[in-house]
Amino acid sequence: MIARTAPPSTHQRSQGAAHVTLLPGPNGGRLDRRHQAGSAKAFVHPGQPGPEIVLLNTSGGLTGGDRLSYRIDLAPGCRATGTTQTAERAYRSATGAAEVTVHHAVGAGGHLDWLPQETILFEGSHLARETGIDLAADASCLLLEAVVLGRAAMGETLARVTLKDTRRIHRAGRPVLVEPLHLGSAALTAGPAILNGARAFATLALVSRGSEDAIGPVRAALDEPGVSGGASGFDGKLVIRLMAADGWPLRRQIMRLLHILRPGPLPRVWQIQERRQ
Amino acid sequence: MLTPAHLTLIQWLSPAFPTGAFAYSHGLEHEIATGIVHDAASLESWLTNILRFGAGWQDAVLLAHALRDDREALDDLARALSPCAERLQEGLEQGAALARAVACITGRTLPPRMLPVALGEAATALDLPEGDVIALYLQGFAGNLVTIAIRHVPLGQTEGQAVLHHLAPLIHCLANRAAMAPLGALGTCALAGDLAALCHETQEVRIFRT
Repeated sequence: MIARTAPPSTHQRSQGAAHVTLLPGPNGGRLDRRHQAGSAKAFVHPGQPGPEIVLLNTSGGLTGGDRLSYRIDLAPGCRATGTTQTAERAYRSATGAAEVTVHHAVGAGGHLDWLPQETILFEGSHLARETGIDLAADASCLLLEAVVLGRAAMGETLARVTLKDTRRIHRAGRPVLVEPLHLGSAALTAGPAILNGARAFATLALVSRGSEDAIGPVRAALDEPGVSGGASGFDGKLVIRLMAADGWPLRRQIMRLLHILRPGPLPRVWQIQERRQ
Repeated sequence: MLTPAHLTLIQWLSPAFPTGAFAYSHGLEHEIATGIVHDAASLESWLTNILRFGAGWQDAVLLAHALRDDREALDDLARALSPCAERLQEGLEQGAALARAVACITGRTLPPRMLPVALGEAATALDLPEGDVIALYLQGFAGNLVTIAIRHVPLGQTEGQAVLHHLAPLIHCLANRAAMAPLGALGTCALAGDLAALCHETQEVRIFRT
């Protein structure tokens, strides 16, 4: 990751929307429609298993008043991976929240791996993000959300931040996983049941019939130095929670878990980061 | 003056009512085993976190809505909000037991639901101010965890009860806020508390179900 200073408060408000639709086709599906507007871009590469949809916010980061939306629609039977080109950065916000909407839909028998790179929160940032994945009755998905609080390598400790980061997965209209993470300044130093010294944390959730079966290998892999983790299989889902002192060990643990939770090599953007270490 | 409805709710939320709360530690057993909770001060700090930023606040908002809204949808939401198998179990088993006991006593039909939703549905008939119902629920939740800590940290009885006493203003304040909160406000950030509940699943020596 390249360190950069926060842009001045005169930052131009950015707007972006990217929407990719895949239809059934060989190797997971074929591109049907790609819409991109403003600061949002989308690229579709062939991959294993299934196409890799890489989303990108060209504005270089988020601040108050920014609006960003990503959407992936998978037709029945499609299998694809959605990810982001870089870590998303939320900078100091003088004018309310940066609003991000992520909404994916997976048709019958389809599967989506939604594996965005981590979100880095800077001092004074205000981010409101809604991530929703709508699954058809027998569709499945893997969801990752990783958040890093400041840059530990630069000695940053956040004192003021507002994060409303709600993750929702619905199956046939009913909620199967809802994780409304609301992290405000008062909670940052509140104590042992909140961050307990962690600067980075993540949720990985595999929502798929029989996903509980992966609990053994997943628990065996939860031993990355510098990371505390737990896994639970229940109700047609496998949920993993991770907490770490910094973003790098968290990332290494996530990459090891991804090898267990999905077939094939890591998405290309994740491999590049892997080599950089 | 307290009404008979208040007395009934106090009965439902007392440790003697067959809800089985004593069997569920909400991850506290893991926090005690790892030394995170080791004395009265650390217990108070941990409980304050859970009440303000964790399941305390979340259950309070769910309960407020269950006193008036569509319980079927709220029950689905409460299940989906459970971060791990044992949290789901904690909510489901206590909710089913509470509904069963209240149904037997009152002759009403009450389906099994997650605990805050089951209590909201049962308590609707009492027609009490929402803030009163929520405050007594949170007091029962915290009181159960204090009792567990007194036995297993261990703490002196009086020392543990002093922790609960200190939490009273917070419980009162949370109850009043939750009574007016929209569903969109039920966010939490008790990340380490949730992680303790996940890790309890693989804890080798365990007395509690959660």
